[in-house]
Amino acid sequence: MKSARIIEVCRMGVVNYMDALKLQERLIAARKSSKIPDTLLSLQHPPTYTLGKRRTDHNLLVPESDLGKMGAELYYTQRGGDITFHGPHQAILYPIISLRDIGLGARKYVEKLELTMIELASLYGVRACPGKSGETGVWVGDRKIGAIGVRISNGITSHGLAFNLNPDLNYFKHIVPCGIEDKEVTSLKREADMELPTEEVIEDQLISCFVTQFGYSSITWKDKKSLLCGDDGDTR
Amino acid sequence: MAARMLWASRAAGYLRISVPHRGFATVLKDLKYCDSHEWAKVEGSSATVGITDHAQDHLGDVVYVELPEVGASVTQGEGFGAVESVKATSDINSPVSGKVVEVNEELSNSPGLINSSPYEQGWIIKVDISDAGQLNNLMDADKYSKFCEEEDAKH
Repeated sequence: MKSARIIEVCRMGVVNYMDALKLQERLIAARKSSKIPDTLLSLQHPPTYTLGKRRTDHNLLVPESDLGKMGAELYYTQRGGDITFHGPHQAILYPIISLRDIGLGARKYVEKLELTMIELASLYGVRACPGKSGETGVWVGDRKIGAIGVRISNGITSHGLAFNLNPDLNYFKHIVPCGIEDKEVTSLKREADMELPTEEVIEDQLISCFVTQFGYSSITWKDKKSLLCGDDGDTR
Repeated sequence: MAARMLWASRAAGYLRISVPHRGFATVLKDLKYCDSHEWAKVEGSSATVGITDHAQDHLGDVVYVELPEVGASVTQGEGFGAVESVKATSDINSPVSGKVVEVNEELSNSPGLINSSPYEQGWIIKVDISDAGQLNNLMDADKYSKFCEEEDAKH
């Protein structure tokens, strides 16, 4: 019989990429020493380009110096995956969870992240599906609606998924998104035939799809202040 | 061809643990294992290290391997490199402590060797062991097989 599994969820609003990275580092350490339960961050970023561990910066099509003029930042990270863009109106989930506790490997974890986004899309009549072999992510036909880039360290996850609600898709023109040429990027706004509710509603639905997909039995809502003020069991 | 005959001749040294979609994952009897799914083949004061068949199966197709430098120190239970698969980077932890004396450069060109040959051509580093006593912390094949089955039963 499976025991009850709790997840703590924090809706963070718009968070600078570096701040979110530093927060994740603290949460990973706290989760590793079991000071906190599985935790999920729901947020958006200001315009930000990020690269993964393989540092595939040949997929950035403009000089790095131009990014500042566009109001965007660039970060090199330790996550898997290629280059991508994050920005306003793109829903991001960063799960900091212990895969060992639930016996999941990287492949199954990523599949469940894909299913989370596929389910959300289906709520709006959008038929999304996982990528073909080697093209992790969520697609509507040939158009990419959701991206994944994850880091797993001592069985604890960080980074996560990004689902396009209605971001400015022009930002994607300056990169070869995820290193895949000749494929478009799309959004829920573009693909759905119905009117969309507010982003807060959709972000909560995304959280709900995640919680269901990963089998949590209860959610504790944590506010941003208690996370950022070191109230994560971390002694200073 | 020779490698395949060597493989076949070792068939008696395998255990099989059940993996739902594949049927089994291979565990070799003469290796030592840790709970983060790496193996160590100890020969005298050296060990060859890699990740297990169970691990590569759960990772998916490996597309990139981050190797340490020759001469780097490794510590039992701590990360020394990483692999990338399905847009996830996963740390690799060392089952032994010591100094890296060789890394498998082949993995830079053919990271998929980790999937196709996790115990042979997919070896990752060779280490001069600094603390042989720590080997007692590792699992033998039977214990590791049970560990994998328990872990897989969690979901």
